Amino acid sequence: MQPLAQPVVLTPTVQANYMLNCMGCHLADGSGAAGKVPSVRDSMVILSQSVAGRRYLVQVPGASQSPLSDLELAQVLSWMVRNLSAQAVPPDFTDFTAAEVASYRSYPLVDVRDTRARLLQAAARSADAGD
Amino acid sequence: MPSSIDALVERLARNMAQRISRRSFIGGVGALLFGAAGMPLLPVARGESTTPARPDAATDPGDPQACEYWRHCAIDGFLCGCCGGSGQSCPPGTEHSAVTWVGTCHNPGDGRDYIISYNDCCGKSACGRCLCSRHEDDKPLYVPFRSNDYNWCPGSKVGIAYHCTVARIVGVAK
Repeated sequence: MQPLAQPVVLTPTVQANYMLNCMGCHLADGSGAAGKVPSVRDSMVILSQSVAGRRYLVQVPGASQSPLSDLELAQVLSWMVRNLSAQAVPPDFTDFTAAEVASYRSYPLVDVRDTRARLLQAAARSADAGD
Repeated sequence: MPSSIDALVERLARNMAQRISRRSFIGGVGALLFGAAGMPLLPVARGESTTPARPDAATDPGDPQACEYWRHCAIDGFLCGCCGGSGQSCPPGTEHSAVTWVGTCHNPGDGRDYIISYNDCCGKSACGRCLCSRHEDDKPLYVPFRSNDYNWCPGSKVGIAYHCTVARIVGVAK
């Protein structure tokens, strides 16, 4: 028997929303399943640093089509960046807002994998150029 | 180092040979073997003993093996507890699919909603016992991450053969 948590510690709402809407595929630590579900651990910080990357994170089907409200989705995305990233979160990271989510969410992302690969390559190139 | 062990064993063996006759030594070993056979070394009677009352029955009511158990409110499959595993662990020879669906179930014992991860156990053919199909708050197939109708075993490392399902508590919603 798996015992109930004693004492019962409530899961924070934003984490509970991650669990109920994202964790089934992305797993508790965001690592996903190789070849099936991309890991978010190495990409959330990079993508959240650019406008195009932030738009992608909102538009990706699992996010945009979730039953979460714009505010809840903004909170979950910010929580993921802060809690599931393998890299340190840069001090200038800005949380997602409901308005930002609303502005991207209604536009469907057609080519998910290519968009993701392109954004991460572009980020890597600009990082190299900056070095 | 080995030479000192050799010397020790040799000394003990010579000592014993001088003090104990071969016949009494064999008799002693025989008595030991015979005596051991009379002792129940394995707890063979455990399966027939009555199940003790669960200590947390007030806060966790119901029979964990039953489909009606509260943690099974949205499970769809064979209960692993009937298949050689338990309510939260896969039977031997199967591997759980990490990728799965997650829902909440209301615990009537303490009035809280628990976040439950329904993980399929994969790698063997269907268990076939204790089929349980409940659909509290599960969604149609077109909302895949909230639907219990999927076989989640493609998310495991051992392929699509589905055996049974576990219901693990992963959080407390409210």
